[in-house]
Amino acid sequence: MSTTTSLAPGLLDEVHETQSAFRALLDALARPGQVNTLAPALPGVALGGAMARLLLTLCDEETPVWWQNADPDLQHWLRFHTGATVAPRPAMASFALLTDVGSAPALADFAAGSAKSPEFSSTLVIELPSLQGGTQTQWRGPGIQEQRRLALPGLSADFWTQWQVNHAAFPQGVDIIFTCAEQLVGLPRTTRVSPPEGV
Amino acid sequence: MTNNTASGELSARRTWLAVLARASLSELEAKRVLLGELPALQQVRPPEVGMLMLRGRVGGTGNPFNLGEASVVRCAVRLGNGALGVAYALGRDKRRAELAALFDALLQDPAWHDELQRTLIEPLQAQQAQARDSRRREVAPSKVEFFTLVRGDA
Repeated sequence: MSTTTSLAPGLLDEVHETQSAFRALLDALARPGQVNTLAPALPGVALGGAMARLLLTLCDEETPVWWQNADPDLQHWLRFHTGATVAPRPAMASFALLTDVGSAPALADFAAGSAKSPEFSSTLVIELPSLQGGTQTQWRGPGIQEQRRLALPGLSADFWTQWQVNHAAFPQGVDIIFTCAEQLVGLPRTTRVSPPEGV
Repeated sequence: MTNNTASGELSARRTWLAVLARASLSELEAKRVLLGELPALQQVRPPEVGMLMLRGRVGGTGNPFNLGEASVVRCAVRLGNGALGVAYALGRDKRRAELAALFDALLQDPAWHDELQRTLIEPLQAQQAQARDSRRREVAPSKVEFFTLVRGDA
């Protein structure tokens, strides 16, 4: 009974709010590295606005979600509103929620899909404390005119090395959505990330 | 012991949820007016309409088959900091589901339970049983007995 007394509401205007979240996600993945702004956090939900809204938009009973920090209240909340189950291992997750990326499993531990069905890969949603102030990186690839510079903080030292392996495995590999409160940045598997020239 | 009480509570709740699901809007609305002021209503899941597959039994073996789909409306609400009230009802009447969820939330509150059980659930339950009973008696004469014809070549 304790879980039902603390159950937080979902989206109040589900149709329009999920559509605008989906649009923001499409833009984020079509323009990697561009910061998109979604709506504020949901009352009573201990997740950033962008992350919570993406979850309610994307999840359903066929998408197991892996939680880096398993919070029973949040898991029950997502289950109640979307029907999404909890994935026991990262490799079984359609979506993986990472709130402390420094101590997260390696990218290779998540589902990369198969050569025949690369769409059965995990999508990682990573909450960062900020979207700037970290090590400079240079992003290139489809959806980026020339290059884009980002400095995402809090990533582990070998994160970008792992990302290069992930990128090289195309068409397999994971996609990442970085979120920070109500903002999101897409990093699809097609994007090449390298240290900026001259460094 | 605890288990028994828990399952007893569960079946009691199941009973009143079934009664509320069959209650008409006017019955629920009439009772709601009598309650007066209540704590703020929070819609945890605003009333939403969906579809439900109805299954029937067919053939001599009773295999299940999909009879068709029915509209159903569901809702979850909380009053103040109380328990979560839920409702499912056939049809597309959102207000009816919202009121049923509200009464479910109140019925889980010990301060309200006995009064609502006495003045709302029990009368409705009796009325629904009576309606079902009279309907059953109405259609009973139309029952047809089928006999298997055995070929008499023995």
